Amino acid sequence: MGSMRIHHLSLANFRNYTRLELDFSTPLTLLQGDNAQGKTNLLEAIYVLATSRTPHAVAEREMVNWLALEESFPYARLVADVERAGRRQRLEIVVAPQNGEGGNGPTFRKQVKINGVARRALDLVGLLPVVLFLPEDIELVSGAPAVRRRYLNVALCQIDAAYCRALAEYNRVLTRRSALLRHLRERGGNQDQMRFWDERLVMYGSTLLARRQEAISALEGEAQTRQRALTQGREHLRLRYLPGIDLAPDRPEEEVLPMLEAARIEALFGEELRAGREKELAAGTCLYGPHRDDLRFLIGGRDLRLYGSRGQQRTVALAMKLAEMAVMTQALGEPPLLLLDDMMSELDARRRAALLSTLNGVPQAICTATDWSDFDEGFRARARCLRVVEGRIEEAERSA
Amino acid sequence: MSTQVLPGPVIKLIEAFSGLPGIGPKTASRLAFYLLRAPQEQALNLAEALQDLKARTVLCARCFNIAETSPCAICQDETRDASILCVVEEPLDVVAIERTREFRGHYHVLHGAISPVEGIGPEDLKIDALLERVRREPVREVLLATNANLEGESTASYVAHLLKASGIRVTRLARGLPVGGDVEYADEITLSRALEGRREI
Repeated sequence: MGSMRIHHLSLANFRNYTRLELDFSTPLTLLQGDNAQGKTNLLEAIYVLATSRTPHAVAEREMVNWLALEESFPYARLVADVERAGRRQRLEIVVAPQNGEGGNGPTFRKQVKINGVARRALDLVGLLPVVLFLPEDIELVSGAPAVRRRYLNVALCQIDAAYCRALAEYNRVLTRRSALLRHLRERGGNQDQMRFWDERLVMYGSTLLARRQEAISALEGEAQTRQRALTQGREHLRLRYLPGIDLAPDRPEEEVLPMLEAARIEALFGEELRAGREKELAAGTCLYGPHRDDLRFLIGGRDLRLYGSRGQQRTVALAMKLAEMAVMTQALGEPPLLLLDDMMSELDARRRAALLSTLNGVPQAICTATDWSDFDEGFRARARCLRVVEGRIEEAERSA
Repeated sequence: MSTQVLPGPVIKLIEAFSGLPGIGPKTASRLAFYLLRAPQEQALNLAEALQDLKARTVLCARCFNIAETSPCAICQDETRDASILCVVEEPLDVVAIERTREFRGHYHVLHGAISPVEGIGPEDLKIDALLERVRREPVREVLLATNANLEGESTASYVAHLLKASGIRVTRLARGLPVGGDVEYADEITLSRALEGRREI
């Protein structure tokens, strides 16, 4: 049938894998291994192929096996054979030095191929939609605003190609506009140059703001349901979008943001840039726009980043990941591939059960654990059980 | 690599090559040794070419193209249409447009594009000279043929804004599908530009 799947993963010199050929023949795959054997690296390889970036912003170079770095032509290669809506595709990423030679320490570059044809990184995104659950997801609630923006970007880029393009363009414009502001601050110059960059920033930025506003409202509904189930109906979760421009300049802060049309957002964004011109020139960097967005998680009016307990933050992070899963499923018409990295050991019985019931409802999931007992026998009987040992993967004996 | 054992002139040439864009230390030594073994004549020809490059070229004082004389051959050509001015980033862009044989007007070379990241502002380009030319010469149309990337677009937009005040006609090169390109393989941005710029046939 036409559901979304990864059939085969092939790795060369990716992190601690020198060579790996792995078939995914069953809907559920369970990988067990001690720490530092390569469980997370395997899930990251799939995540990189799905999103064209690593879950933590790291240098391209760090994807390459450190032994391979000693060789004359160091490279890493990741290939996935995937299927979606009955169509098979081969996704490929090669990380290699930019030029054959060139001084000390070459810079590494990512090349993307789809079915053997060179493509842009953003053409890859969305061909194998995934949701990755990590123990450090708690940072979504407790961490810096950048973590929350990344969460929104990863989900939205995979379901909305227009968003993905707007984000790439926005970031390009942002770097240049900031460089110009710095230049004008330090050396002066004609401010007419700002007009072009203002226009572009507003154009792409408004697409991001409008889409995020819409997504956050959908995520809130889903996360509320999950949060209620996880807390036996005790906690009512609210999300509050804090956009990087003032979307309601004439309203008091406590009021809920009105959903705005893209055209209205563009007008407000443009006004904000004009009003804040002197401030931006003084700062020498871009002060307004979706790169300054944030998101608040509220229960009973309390901001959980500041006042939530560890346990509460962990529950909300899980509810948000499950909501991401639900929103992506609605947008795609089928559930994305689920990647779970060592999640169970962190969770109590109720949260485990919530995650397991999600696992049972998806066409494909790949999970890791340090202990087999993290997953009950019923689950293990349905899953293909593999052991990860020092960058190699072997079938696990049934009794394990 | 230890170059200590090599004679001074060889080292000097390797270092000179290394300073060129796109040439690393290995290519530089390969080139130097090639010339060392090549016939005397070939090395002298190269030396002469390098000397002439600086000694016998000038920037045309009118259009700022690279030429042997100032004003350049194009600027002196009276059969060309002085009412239309094509603005490009680099001298090589003039060569490309001349190859089409479609354009019979004059040129203006900016010598770059506004690039905030590289710290290049309008004052570093021949933009003031362009405005001056438009004031002095009988120009009716300025065709902005800068590159279709962010830097080229921002330069075009900046220049267009300055020229609009003078009431002159300002045009921009069309963007769209490359000839011989498949619609199927065109990226979305190129394709949407092509749709915007569609024409009746």
